[in-house]
Amino acid sequence: MKGELFVVGLSHRTAPLAIRERLAVSGEKLAEDLSALSKTSTMDEALLISTCNRVEVYASASDIAAASREVRNYLNGKIAPDAIDGHLYERVGTDAVKHAFRVASSLDSMILGEPQILGQVKTAYATAHAAGTLGTLLSRCFHRAFAVAKRVRTETGVAAGTVSVSSIACELAKKIFGDLHGRRVLLLGAGKMSETAARHLRKQGAQLYIVNRSPERAEELARVYGGIAKRMEDLAHELTLADVAITSTSSPDFVITRELMQSVQKARRHRLMLLVDIAVPRDVDPRVGTISNVILYDIDDLEKVSGENLAERLREASVAEQIVEGEVREFEEWRRSLVLTPTIVALRETFQQVVRDELARTTSRLSLREEDKRALERMGEAIVTKLLHQPLQELKRGAEDSDGAEMIAAVRKLFDLETSTSAQAVSNAEAAPAAASPQKKPT
Amino acid sequence: MIVSALFLVTASLYAIACVLYFIYTLRGEESLGSRAPAALFLAILSHVAFLVGDYAVAGHIPTTNIQQTLAVASLLIAIGYLVAMRKHKLAALGAFITPLTLLFLLGAGFGSNIAQVPAGVRSIILPLHVGVNILGIVAFALAFAVSIAYLLQERLLLTKRLGGVFQRLPPLHELDSLGFRLVTIGFPLLTIGIVSGAFFAARIDEAGSTFSMSHLTAYLAWIFFAAVLVLRIAAGWRGRRAAIGTMLGFFCAILVLVGYALRGMSGAA
Repeated sequence: MKGELFVVGLSHRTAPLAIRERLAVSGEKLAEDLSALSKTSTMDEALLISTCNRVEVYASASDIAAASREVRNYLNGKIAPDAIDGHLYERVGTDAVKHAFRVASSLDSMILGEPQILGQVKTAYATAHAAGTLGTLLSRCFHRAFAVAKRVRTETGVAAGTVSVSSIACELAKKIFGDLHGRRVLLLGAGKMSETAARHLRKQGAQLYIVNRSPERAEELARVYGGIAKRMEDLAHELTLADVAITSTSSPDFVITRELMQSVQKARRHRLMLLVDIAVPRDVDPRVGTISNVILYDIDDLEKVSGENLAERLREASVAEQIVEGEVREFEEWRRSLVLTPTIVALRETFQQVVRDELARTTSRLSLREEDKRALERMGEAIVTKLLHQPLQELKRGAEDSDGAEMIAAVRKLFDLETSTSAQAVSNAEAAPAAASPQKKPT
Repeated sequence: MIVSALFLVTASLYAIACVLYFIYTLRGEESLGSRAPAALFLAILSHVAFLVGDYAVAGHIPTTNIQQTLAVASLLIAIGYLVAMRKHKLAALGAFITPLTLLFLLGAGFGSNIAQVPAGVRSIILPLHVGVNILGIVAFALAFAVSIAYLLQERLLLTKRLGGVFQRLPPLHELDSLGFRLVTIGFPLLTIGIVSGAFFAARIDEAGSTFSMSHLTAYLAWIFFAAVLVLRIAAGWRGRRAAIGTMLGFFCAILVLVGYALRGMSGAA
């Protein structure tokens, strides 16, 4: 277990969209790239995260410099040699673990607290798991990352702030119409965003109407949230009746054009209408916003609005950062204990082996009764225990702070413990990573 | 003496309420502005005392000249607002209403006990004429304040500035329907006011007076308010257009009052 964790990658903080979109990989390509990467001899483990905001390779290796070069070559290879070196960052050891925790908890996201990133990290984990490129360190690291993300979401208001765009849309509707009770809300497109919007609006007592390209999905959403599914052909009619419309289709073109909305607004007799376009690319022609008594908000507007309570969320984020710090410390303890346990086992085994060998040699020359032989064996064990008591105490104490690793390395070297016993212990730990809770100090 | 002191106290209290309402609208609940309704209530009490004093001095119901009419209308606007506020969440509207009450009151103090209605015009229809006109102008004044709030709120929404002021103003849709309701109330009153006014105008004409600007602006106001109502029903003119129509109508109605006040003064001169 000499390997160390590291991460090399780029994100919205370091690289422009033009570069990020050329590096992004998904689906089968992700698995292919991953196995190509892990075939290089330098890496023990590897995991590749690719979203529209970041591309990162997490790996463990003994020779980090070599492995890091390998990863850089892979990333540069997508554009040109050395093309993106200036955009790459690298974190090693504890910093890499912390980075993984922050990414999964959405503390490193463009929109602080946005919920999608966790799903994307989970996909990356599943892909790496299927490709067999995960070992003890990475699987433990990401298991903890998921737990950290959950804590951050439930224990802080970071996620509550964004609860996203859809709840801001709901708030906006309330500030325009007052009571939403009995208001008619049209959901155009039945994606993930619509679902959160549907939940919020339903809670406010709005009537939901759902129009979607695939009628089955519309029916499903209507069933779950108590709405009514309508056909795509009825769009103009439904727009005429609705007070609020939220669009989130994946259509590349405008679904609600200026001409459509002009005729709709005429039929509505210019009743006030709120249009919220949370699709990228947009579903509603921006010129629709100039039609009288139509209030149009797109995703940028909503994000701008949500930015107005940014201070509140930044405060929550600092609470989240503390959670991350605590979890990183626990991970490091576990990481050290991972080396400590086999070291203790091996140390004790080495000492006892010496006693056993010497006893065997001595007792074979003497004719002793069984009783006396056992007494001598007990004495030998007691000597080992007493001799090792102080060093083991020191080792265990050392495991709780960062000097521990050096001390463990020194002990292993002094007593030449780099043998099969430690490898055995590590593979045991690997078999049941969940069982090795970081809180439990190994004995 | 006491009466003019009361007038000054009332005007000062309205001014204080006005400033506090502005602070509330800009700063929110936590600020000094939360005292605004209390200041307005005190202003109303002082206002009532002022009117009672005025009545005691004049010896008749103080609605026989334009100044007194304004003073009563000012009081009713303030009371109407305080009552409406209890039902709806309209605290931020105070910033638009208190300036109106203050202006009406100052208009009333603008030379007192002049422009008595010509003796020949006095009849039982006069209290009706004055009464409906006061109530009408109160409804329109409130509608005017609501319309300003509507336009401001719409502006904030369209420019995507959803900060504190936006949060404190009532929802856009409520402002629109409230404005509409107030115009619906004011319009029949204005109609009766104009018809009864035409009746007096005929009598004054006999007495030698001529058709004045006031009549023209009264008809203009009537046309604006009629347009707000009819176009809303017939052509769906709501929101911004209705708000602008309401403001224009109120502006004309104010011109009528100003016209009367000026004529009263020149008559007194």
